[in-house]
Formats: sequence, C-alpha cells, structure tokens
Amino acid sequence: MTRPLNRPLSPFMFPFWYRFQITSALSILHRLTGIGLAVGSILLAFWLIAVAEGGESFASMHVFLVSPIGMLLLFLWSVAFFYHLCNGIRHLAWDAGYGFELRTAYRSGYTVLALTTLLTALTWLFVFFA
Amino acid sequence: MSKPAITANTTALRDETMLRRVRQLGSAHDGLGEWRLQRLTAIALIPLGLYFAASVLWLVKSDHLTAAGWLASPVGALLVMLFVLAGLAHALVGIRSVLLDYVHTRSRLLAAGLVVRAAVVVLAGASILAILKLFLVH
Repeated sequence: MTRPLNRPLSPFMFPFWYRFQITSALSILHRLTGIGLAVGSILLAFWLIAVAEGGESFASMHVFLVSPIGMLLLFLWSVAFFYHLCNGIRHLAWDAGYGFELRTAYRSGYTVLALTTLLTALTWLFVFFA
Repeated sequence: MSKPAITANTTALRDETMLRRVRQLGSAHDGLGEWRLQRLTAIALIPLGLYFAASVLWLVKSDHLTAAGWLASPVGALLVMLFVLAGLAHALVGIRSVLLDYVHTRSRLLAAGLVVRAAVVVLAGASILAILKLFLVH
C-alpha cells in the first residue's frame, strides 16, 4: 500500500525557484485564505451550537469573540473571507476563459487586493462606529 | 491506448476518460466531478456568503434573542444551512486538492483525506442540528 506516487510532483516553488510575482503570490494567498476559512468553519459550528444552546454557552462564546484573540481571529477571517471571495470571482472568470492576458491578470490581481482592503475596512468601520 | 485518432473525434475528448490516456500518467479518478463541485459551490457561495456576512454584521450589536430569532426564521435557517453545506463541500474539495499537491505518499494521502472528510461530516452535522433545533423549537 505504501508506495510513492510515481508521478511528476508539484514542488513548493515560490520563494526558492520563482522570483516574486503578484500572480503567484495571490494564487498562494488564495489557498492559504481557503485553508483559514475552512478552519473558521469550526468556529462557525461552535457559534451555531452556542446560539442553539443559549445561556451559558452563548455568553462564554461572546466572551471569547470579544477577547483580543477572538477579535484578531475575526479580523483575519474577515480579510480571508473578502480576499477569497474577490479572488474566487477572478478564478471563475478565468474558468470561463476571460482575463488571461498578462496585463489583465495583473490588473485584476491589484483590483482584488484593493477590494479586499476596502471591504475589510468598511466592515470594521461598521462594527466599531455604526 | 489503442487508436487515439478515433477517440479524439468522439465526445470522450470532453470527459475524463481522455485524460487517463494522456501519457499514461493516470488520472485522479474523481477530478472532473470535484472540479465541477468546486465551481458550482463557488458560484453558490457568492450570494450565500454575502448574505451570511451581512447578517452577521447586523447582529454584531444585538443580543442572543436576535441571533436565535434569525436562525429560527425560515429564510435565515435555510440560507445559513445552505451556506454551511456549500462552504464545507467547497472546503473539502479545496483541502483535498492541497493535500494532493503536498502529500506524496498514497497511504498518508488516504489517511489525511479520511480525517478531512470525517471533520467535514461532523461539522456539517453539528451545524445543521444546531440550526434545526432553533428552527423547530421556535
């Protein structure tokens, strides 16, 4: 059973074999934010359970979420959510055959970064000032 | 690998059967289905994710009763359930493709895949039960 897959492998190219490019950096960021959001689904499940349980569970969930660690996690998840959403739409456009030209790929990449920053900023401005 | 000239002219070209023949590298077996599921859930998650994010933002300053009321309402319960299910299905395909790229031993890949699947099933079950409890009680 334990035989290695005898196929071409995909090495981790980025910092060692490739110079920095925004396209590959954003691609890796898409995966990282995806993994982060998947981990976040654990918290989402716990939050849903806490709402269903109410009382003590909900109170301690609230205490955790407004603690410094909770707030940091929520901030990182908001960044990951907006980035993965915007860059995911970029990926869907590629799947449909649009935006492969180098100039377009760079421009859409910077647009994704700008939109992520804007949406994250608006979200937290709303949280703290609305 | 017999007569590729004929198969190339058939609809097999559009399906995963053709990939299996390419340079005899073999296929990932479920690749096409997973690829489609990834895109389908991605499209669904655009409105579902925005709805969820907007709802959570509106809940930020409210109490437990408001949050419970939201999840007990038919629209809230249904859309959050769909968000959780689409999100977890999307995450499952995504994490499995990451594992496929970096875990190069078949047994470890199998074990890691099973762990991820189990985690997704438990999370989906727990989330759905929590929402159902709120929805059915209220």
